[in-house]
Amino acid sequence: MTNQVDLEAEIQRLLTEHGRIAEQGITVQRRDNILILGGDVESPQRRDEICRQITTHFPDVEIACDIGITRTQAPNEVEEIS
Amino acid sequence: MIRIAAVGDVHVDKDVVGRYRPALDQLPDVADALLIAGDLTRHGTVEEAKCFATEFGGLGVPVVLVLGNHDHQSDQQDDVAQVLTDAGLTVLEGNSTVLHLHGHRIGVAGVKGFGGGFAGACASNFGEREMKAYVGHTEEIAATLEAALLDVADCDALVALTHYSPVPDTLVGEPLEIYPFLGCYQLGRAIDAAPTTLALHGHAHAGSERGRTPGGVPVRNVAHPVIKQAYNVYQLLSDQNLVNA
Repeated sequence: MTNQVDLEAEIQRLLTEHGRIAEQGITVQRRDNILILGGDVESPQRRDEICRQITTHFPDVEIACDIGITRTQAPNEVEEIS
Repeated sequence: MIRIAAVGDVHVDKDVVGRYRPALDQLPDVADALLIAGDLTRHGTVEEAKCFATEFGGLGVPVVLVLGNHDHQSDQQDDVAQVLTDAGLTVLEGNSTVLHLHGHRIGVAGVKGFGGGFAGACASNFGEREMKAYVGHTEEIAATLEAALLDVADCDALVALTHYSPVPDTLVGEPLEIYPFLGCYQLGRAIDAAPTTLALHGHAHAGSERGRTPGGVPVRNVAHPVIKQAYNVYQLLSDQNLVNA
């Protein structure tokens, strides 16, 4: 259990502190022997870089990437503040 | 009627330039101003700030923003702010501005904010020098927000713009353990010290969209991963929230 927590902590720090990533909103959850990555990023390049860096730094870890790309369409509703 | 568009945490770099622009080009048709709640860039470099200015500049409506923690990462925040100012964007940090929109005066007070936690689970100004510096920084920033809000309290509507959250309501969905790194109650207290109409913040990517301060001010988390579109639009100055009518 400790090793699992340490691994997830190391991955979170890698994603935040790596100069080519700087992502703080990625979730890391273990399911069986696979780490499931979740959350949203601003471009497909960022998603791919996250997976590449984790694979490079933790070659023994199998990952599944469920990271989405945040949509940027214009809104079609207005909220009245009261 | 005034319509304010808002978003935060857009984290612009070269790979994002062009993604927002189609929606931003429509913004003047649906809103009178755009407020941006920090984390404009990934690492807070001048190069990224130029990318942000390219994407969010020249919209034809006023753009008012605060920086976020990412915008401080490279210790170039002053240069980042200068790039944005040179591009015609209004950068707030412990101060305020007044927007003149359709005959109304809309006050916007902004500050990045900081962590510290919320009632029942907050840091105290006690113990090691580092802890006192942490909490002291939080209290100093909240005091500047309160003063900035009160500076424009005579406006027709008043908006508080921060990166960190002033309430725990809009953090629901984030791990409870990191709430103290996502906001602090002192910001909420500052917002309640003025006749604030609306409080906007970002930072909590996995948080919730809606909350209220203890004093009842509506709070909206406009972090991009939360609103899942280019910006939200809020209508102010209905009969209920004219502070100086």
